[in-house]
Amino acid sequence: MNATVAIGFTLILIIGQLDLSIGTIITFSAVVGLGLKEYVGFGLSVPLAVLAGAMIGLINGLFVAKAKISSFIVTLGMMTILQGTVYTITGGNSISLATPDAFAVSDWLAYMFIPLITPRVLITLILVVAASIFMRRTKIGRNFYMVGGNVQTAWLAGINTDRYTIAAFVISGTMAGIGGVLFSMESAAATLNMGNSSLMYVISATIIGGTAMSGGKGGVFKTFMAILTLDILYNGIILFGLGNEVKIFLAGIILAGVVLYEAFTAYRREKVLGQRPELMKELAAQEPRS
Amino acid sequence: MKKIVKLLVIFVVLLAAAGMVFAGGEEEAAAVSSVDAEANLAASLAVDVSVLTAADGQQLIKIGGESRPIPARPADPSALPETDPLHWWDMEFAGWNSVKTNIPDSPKDGAIGKRITMIVHGDHPWTTACTTGAQKVADAYNIDLKILSPNWDLAVQNQMIDQAINERPDMILLIPLDAKTAPQQARKINKAGVPLILFNTLPSAEAMDYAIAWTGPDDFGQFRVLSRLWADALGKEGGVAYVQHAPGGSPYFARCFGPISELSEYAPGITVLDKQAPGFEADKTMQLVSDWLTRFGDELKGICAADDSSQALGIYEALKKAGREDVVVIAAGNSKVGMDLVKDGKIYAITYQTAEGDGALAVKTAADWFNGLEIEPVRYLPQHMITIDDVEDFYPPQW
Repeated sequence: MNATVAIGFTLILIIGQLDLSIGTIITFSAVVGLGLKEYVGFGLSVPLAVLAGAMIGLINGLFVAKAKISSFIVTLGMMTILQGTVYTITGGNSISLATPDAFAVSDWLAYMFIPLITPRVLITLILVVAASIFMRRTKIGRNFYMVGGNVQTAWLAGINTDRYTIAAFVISGTMAGIGGVLFSMESAAATLNMGNSSLMYVISATIIGGTAMSGGKGGVFKTFMAILTLDILYNGIILFGLGNEVKIFLAGIILAGVVLYEAFTAYRREKVLGQRPELMKELAAQEPRS
Repeated sequence: MKKIVKLLVIFVVLLAAAGMVFAGGEEEAAAVSSVDAEANLAASLAVDVSVLTAADGQQLIKIGGESRPIPARPADPSALPETDPLHWWDMEFAGWNSVKTNIPDSPKDGAIGKRITMIVHGDHPWTTACTTGAQKVADAYNIDLKILSPNWDLAVQNQMIDQAINERPDMILLIPLDAKTAPQQARKINKAGVPLILFNTLPSAEAMDYAIAWTGPDDFGQFRVLSRLWADALGKEGGVAYVQHAPGGSPYFARCFGPISELSEYAPGITVLDKQAPGFEADKTMQLVSDWLTRFGDELKGICAADDSSQALGIYEALKKAGREDVVVIAAGNSKVGMDLVKDGKIYAITYQTAEGDGALAVKTAADWFNGLEIEPVRYLPQHMITIDDVEDFYPPQW
C-alpha cells in the first residue's frame, strides 16, 4: 500500500508541496470501496472509491493552486475533515466483508503466481514503472520538476503551473485511493484509522529516496527502492527479535542521516560554487590586521 | 546519495540474512526437543500454574465466567433497539455459537517445548504487564514464547502474521487490532494450518470460526455489573454521560452500550445526556467534561469512562476545577492511576481487569490444547469490581 501511495506523494514533493491528507484518503477510499460493495459490487465500488480519492486531491489542488493557500494548511484541514467524515458515515464502526466473494478477492490479491509476486505487488510494480517512465521520459513529466525547481521560471517558460499543481494533487489522491482500496480488499475490512501510520512512513521513504523537500528533485523509482529498503530493515529488526523502539530509533537515525547528508552536500556545492579562488588567494596574502 | 542507498541495501541484506540464520537455528532446536510425546504429555499435565501470582499478589490464572448465562440469540439482533441488551448479542457473545472451520486436532503430546508466537496490538504499559503474565505461564511449561508488537499498525500486524506463518510455530496467539479485520487474519492463519487462539479484544463473530478459542475479559459482562453498582450509587435516576473508547474495537461498544442497555431495564430513570470518544489524552477528556459541565450543569450526575488512566485523570481534573464532588464516576480498569483515584474516593468503582492474567490465560489455554484437554470456545477472565472497600487488595498495581 505504502509504495502505491508514495508514487503520488513523490510527485507532490517534486512540485514543492506537501499532502498531509494521504493517510485519511486511504481510510476514506477504503470505507467507500467496501461500504458501497454491498450495493453496487466491487466492479463499481472500487472505481468509485478511487474516484473519491481523486476528487479529494482535486479539491486540495484547487485550494493550493487557485486560492494560493499553503498546501500544509489545506491538506491538514482536509485530513481532519475526512477523519470526521469517516467516523460520521460509519457510526464509529469498522466495515467488514467476511463473505466468500470478499475472501476470494482477498485470496486472489495475495496469491503468489510467481515467487514473491502477487497481483497486488504486480499492480504496484506496474504503477511504479509507469510513473517513473512518465516522469522521466515525457515532457509533461519533466515539467513537474520544472514547476518544483522554480515556479516563476516554469511560468515564464510557458508552463501552466496551476494546472500542474492541481494535477499533482489529483494523482496523489488517486494513488492514495488505489492504495486504500487494495489494502482494504486484501484485509476484507476497512478500519477507521488504517491509513494513519502511512503518512509518516511515506514522507520518510520519499525523503530517504532522495526527493528534495524544496522540490524539483527526486524520482518515483528511488522512493520505491527506499520503501523496499525500509521494509527489509524493519523485517530484519523483527527477525532479530528487537522491539518497536529499535525500529523507531533506526528509522529516525536513517532519516536524520539522509537529511544531514543532503544538507552537507548542498553546503559543499554552494561553497565550491561561491568560492572565487583569486579572491581567496588575495585574502590569504593580506597581512593580518594588528 | 547513491553511496548511502548502496550502503543501506547492503546493511539490510546482511540483517535479513542473519535473521534467517537465526530463524533456521530455532527450527532445528525445536525438532530436537520433540522426543517422547507421552512422557512430555505426562510432564505437561503435571505442571501446576495455579500457584503463580501476578504483580498485585492476585492469583495469575483464575478462569471465570463459567456460570455466565448465555441467552438465546434473537433472529435478528440488529433489528432490536440499541437500548435492548439483545441488540448486542453477536458482539457480547461472539464465539459461543461459532461454527468451527478447519480447526486442527490437538497433538496431545504436551505443552512443554512448544513454540508459540504471540502477536499483540501495540506498545503500552498494559501490554508489558500482559506479556509478563504470558511469559510466567510459558516459563512454567518451558514454552518458547516469541512476542511481536506491531505498535497499533494494521499493515504491520498483517505482515507479522505472514512472518509468523512462515516460521511455522506450534501456535499463534493473536490480539486483533480491529474486530472487523480479525476474520481475514484468523482465516489466513487457519488456512495455513497453524493453530490459533485469539485473546483480549473481542473480534467479529466470523473470526471465532477459525480459532480454537477466544480468551479475555468479559467486557460486556463486567460493564453490566459495574453499571448496576453505578445506578445504585446514583439512586437509579439522573443524567449521565459516557467517555467512550476508540471507535472500531469491541470496548467502544461494550463500555458504553453495555451500561446503556443494562440500565434501560435496571434503572430506566437514568438518562443518557451525551457520549463522546475524545481519545486517550487527559487534556482532551478534561475539555470534553468541562464542556459537559457547562452544558448540562447539575443535570450531570454520573460519568462512565472507558479507561481509568488518562481519561479518568481528565475527568477528575475537570470535576476538581468545577468544584463538583457529587458526580459519580466509574471506569474500566485497573491501572495504578485508576486504583489511586478509587482509593482517594474520586472514582466510585472500576472493573478488575488483570493484564497479566489476560496474557497468562491465553498461554494456559494453548497449553491445555497441547495437553489434549477440552477447550470451551470462550474463556473469560474473572469478573470483579474494585471499590474503595477492597482496592488495597490489588496493590501494587500491575501497570
